Amino acid sequence: MPFMLPTILKNLFTGYATRLYPVQIREPFENARGHVVFLDDKCTMCGACAVRCPSVAITTDKEKNELTFYPLRCIVCEVCVHVCPSDAIELIYKWRPSFYDKPVELHKSTRLEHLRESTDKAKEKEAEKGND
Amino acid sequence: MEISPRTKYLRTIWAEMARAHSHLLWLGLLADAFGFESMFLQFWRIRERVLDLIEMTAGHRVIPSVNIVGGVRRDINAAQKKAVLDALPTIRKESEDLIKVVVNDYTVKSRTTGIGVVTKEQAFLLGCVGPVLRASGVSEDVRLTKYHAYGELNFEPVVETAGDCYARALVRARELLQSIDLQIEALNKLPEGEIATKVRGNPPANESIMRTEAPRGELFYYAKGNGTRNLERMKIRTPTFANLPSLLVMLPGNQLPDVPVIVLSIDPCICCMER
Repeated sequence: MPFMLPTILKNLFTGYATRLYPVQIREPFENARGHVVFLDDKCTMCGACAVRCPSVAITTDKEKNELTFYPLRCIVCEVCVHVCPSDAIELIYKWRPSFYDKPVELHKSTRLEHLRESTDKAKEKEAEKGND
Repeated sequence: MEISPRTKYLRTIWAEMARAHSHLLWLGLLADAFGFESMFLQFWRIRERVLDLIEMTAGHRVIPSVNIVGGVRRDINAAQKKAVLDALPTIRKESEDLIKVVVNDYTVKSRTTGIGVVTKEQAFLLGCVGPVLRASGVSEDVRLTKYHAYGELNFEPVVETAGDCYARALVRARELLQSIDLQIEALNKLPEGEIATKVRGNPPANESIMRTEAPRGELFYYAKGNGTRNLERMKIRTPTFANLPSLLVMLPGNQLPDVPVIVLSIDPCICCMER
């Protein structure tokens, strides 16, 4: 007990070590790995992130233009952010708020849709030319 | 393939940060095992600050998750370096105050001295690793093989001779202070340079082993590639797997209330062991 006394006395005159959580929230550091965000206007559904993800948190379907992300499986290892060839995945330093149910994020790439529309139009034009 | 000197130092710093937080966690759990709850929380309070340092530099709190093939993923910039160097002396001072309690307090001594004794020969024959081996008087530490930047740092293994729970606590307590010193030294010596070398292609058809000193002891990795994208074999031997047989020597003849203290003294991580 006498050896613990200095620490005990010091604790009497220093502040709290804990926070009143819901009222007082600690901001994460700028460098922290909070969560990943998918940018639908840049994604090309190449599937590089789904192949490399170690926790199988991402699945992609290029035919249907669907990227499914399971946030609860994600370990924020940052691998997908680095492998993405079109910089369509961003790391946000803030942590995801608490969940009430198991969320599943479904993304549709607008960039791929535009690409497909333009290629369809080009094909139609070519077909028209062929008919003429 | 050569990795840059800066990478070696960064890996050392994060490894030592992980050791510091792991030993603080263990010292807290030891206090908890014999009901010294106030010391348990005091240790964990210091540990929170080490975790904050890891979060500030590596992004994650407990597992830095920075190593990639050929380098590291994150760098420590000047502002972060200064913040870590400012925080470490205070953490060391507070740890020293609490370690005085571990070394001198009657409660701690009466519950750990002479309990779960492993002699030098037994520890060697049972293949113990890490603090369990060093507490029995064997001066064996993988960091002596000078991997990462340990060859350039002022490092000597911490050795105790008694081989009981008290000796294992002392080894971890002194290693904690040594770990903080190593972090300060490595940060001051941190050289400039690239943090990662580009690696292209698949793993070659070859095999390799690597031994590192994890907080609990020697961690062993074996990897075998076959030229394709996937590895042919990957074997990990964790320190707990090597330390668990020593319980056969430690446990017999002890009273039931001492069992949690003895089992805890090898710092078991069963989920790491199951592989």
